[in-house]
Amino acid sequence: MIQVTNLQKAYNGVTVLNIQGLKIPQGESFGLVGNNGAGKTTFFRLILDLIEPSNGEVQIDDHTVMRNDEWKKTTGSFLDEGFLIDFLIPEEYFNFVGKLYHKTDGDITEFLETMKDFFNGEVLGSKKLIRDFSKGNQKKIGIVAALLGDPKILILDEPFTALDPSSQIRLKRFLNDLQLKFNMTMLISSHDLNHVTEVCKRIVVLEKGLIVKDLQTNADTLKELEAYFAV
Amino acid sequence: MLIKDLLSHEWKKSIRAKGFYKNLAVNILLGFVGLYFATILLLLGFKLDEILEKAHKTLNPMELFNGAMLYILLIGLAFRFFMQQLNTFNLPPYQVLPIKRSSLINFLLLKPLFSPVNYILLLMVIPFAVQSVVGYYSAAVAVRFVLSFVLLVWFNSFTAAFLKRKYGSGLFSFLIVIAVLACIAALEYFKVFSLFDMSRALYGFIVLKTIGLLLPLSAVALAFFLNKWFFAQNYYPERFNVKLKGDKVRTTQLSFLNRFGIIGELISVEIKLILRHKRTKSILYMSGFFLLYGLMFYTQPVYAKSNGMLFFVAMFITGLLMFMYGQWTISWDSSHFDSLMTRNIPIRTYLNANYYLLVAFNLICFVLTTPYFYFGMKIVYMHVAAFIFNIGVNVFLLLFLATFNTKRIDLSKAQVMNYQGTTFKSFLIVLPIMFIPMIIVAALSALTSMTVALWTLTFLGIAGIVFRKYLITVCVNQFNRRKYKLAEGFREGE
Repeated sequence: MIQVTNLQKAYNGVTVLNIQGLKIPQGESFGLVGNNGAGKTTFFRLILDLIEPSNGEVQIDDHTVMRNDEWKKTTGSFLDEGFLIDFLIPEEYFNFVGKLYHKTDGDITEFLETMKDFFNGEVLGSKKLIRDFSKGNQKKIGIVAALLGDPKILILDEPFTALDPSSQIRLKRFLNDLQLKFNMTMLISSHDLNHVTEVCKRIVVLEKGLIVKDLQTNADTLKELEAYFAV
Repeated sequence: MLIKDLLSHEWKKSIRAKGFYKNLAVNILLGFVGLYFATILLLLGFKLDEILEKAHKTLNPMELFNGAMLYILLIGLAFRFFMQQLNTFNLPPYQVLPIKRSSLINFLLLKPLFSPVNYILLLMVIPFAVQSVVGYYSAAVAVRFVLSFVLLVWFNSFTAAFLKRKYGSGLFSFLIVIAVLACIAALEYFKVFSLFDMSRALYGFIVLKTIGLLLPLSAVALAFFLNKWFFAQNYYPERFNVKLKGDKVRTTQLSFLNRFGIIGELISVEIKLILRHKRTKSILYMSGFFLLYGLMFYTQPVYAKSNGMLFFVAMFITGLLMFMYGQWTISWDSSHFDSLMTRNIPIRTYLNANYYLLVAFNLICFVLTTPYFYFGMKIVYMHVAAFIFNIGVNVFLLLFLATFNTKRIDLSKAQVMNYQGTTFKSFLIVLPIMFIPMIIVAALSALTSMTVALWTLTFLGIAGIVFRKYLITVCVNQFNRRKYKLAEGFREGE
């Protein structure tokens, strides 16, 4: 599914990410944890071909992602507000994204209907521009848009921050559902060790751009992670 | 003390803004442009007496100038209404400190008066007063003449700020102002009502009588207190600061574009981008004025012989929207560039959408400039050649060169006359596109004939249209080469 070989990224000679090899098979929920500056977002940006690797490459379905459009058909992602088009109202944005994945108006309406709970009645039908929504609601809009194209791979950067407690619980349930029902490959980074151990079957710890732990989640994983990050 | 502190905070705010030094080159260039206009005004000031002397048989220069005063006032007001940025100084951090609110409001209102740009016309008025008014009347009258002009500037500044805060400067108010100005001009032209005569009488009184200055002074006071009243009515900053906008957005229906698939969707997003940001909208208004550029040149016999110049004008107005928007053609998307790059949009489709949008702009401008055909067949030939050259050659040049503009444009902040995101590269992109065709025409028409020059450009344009697919591929490759630089640059906030 996702294959990383000898991937390196350096800025002005300083290596910020160095992953010798990593394979994420179809249907795996992959959690990425690490302190600020560990290279989590850089790694996601490299997978999404938003920055150029200094060395090595990322392949999705045996095709390199670099300067390629193919992987975009099967990948849904939300890293930050740059992934939103903030001068549109949510409906316009969902419509736009839906059309890119060849959805009909009916498909989109039906899909949004299932998201009503997640939005908690605050987003749809409000006729507000996305830029005028709170950070939490913007995040919800971004996550929903990432799912709109029925992706096989979902990439989310810190999806739980800025969400209210109910939405965090809903999102967890929701991600677990997607895994079970659609066997979706998920890459999720988080600072919250609780959440990430609940959602992900495999957890990788990054530190200063290097993989320092690669764990299959079990009952002791949370303790192990807490021990690792304790100062 | 307080005013001094506030002024120093404002000063720090402007020089500590990120990107101030990065943009130093642009600021210096703008400074030169300002200097150029200042010089022209100063020279005009010294010549004005001579010009007005010849302009009318019975009225003397100052009387003529007085007649124009109310026009200067109205046009200045309209200009400020659309161009002047509201002084939106950030109240909340100060509001919680023990500072009297009225001092803050006074600061907010009076600060714009200290901007030297307000007084640039004095460069023309003062030499005129010294040369002409002193000669016809006396030094005292000349002083009053200059003072009355300063008061006019103050009045305009206050009134425009009030109107803008109260009514906002949307498309609707724009149309009303234009309509009012057109009515006054028409009334004057058809000699129904002369604002000129009224202005002459009014300013004659103001300038010649000792107590005359009390009149504009009270007008300024009135305008000032109107503003104070507005702030008294709207106590909380959320009511007046930054934007006067309702919560609900009118959703633009562009459903006809849906038929064109992903390209149509991308274009409709781009059109919404233009319609929902102040900066892009003000470019649209300014384009309206620029369309009249042709009137200045086509009517002057002086330019009839300089083919290069005429063609420059023809190309500029038939490709107006393309030149105005096209120079930032990819940067407009900088705030949601990541979104576009990770969704299911092949790069070719993305560039095709931009291409069709620019072609549509050209088509619109070409149609809008057809009234110029009235000035003769030469104009028709020039416009057609310019149009074909624009959509065959310039479009691709813009798409290609736009990939070098990696500066983020922050549309949500920017307003009118905002040069944020403008770098030296922006100029380098536009200069060859605008001036090379002009040089080609000037050279070819001098060596051979205008017909040969225009046919040459037309053929180049047609070739561009025929090899469109290939040229887009060149742009796609270029885009892919520059993609990471673009994404990185756009992610960097100011």
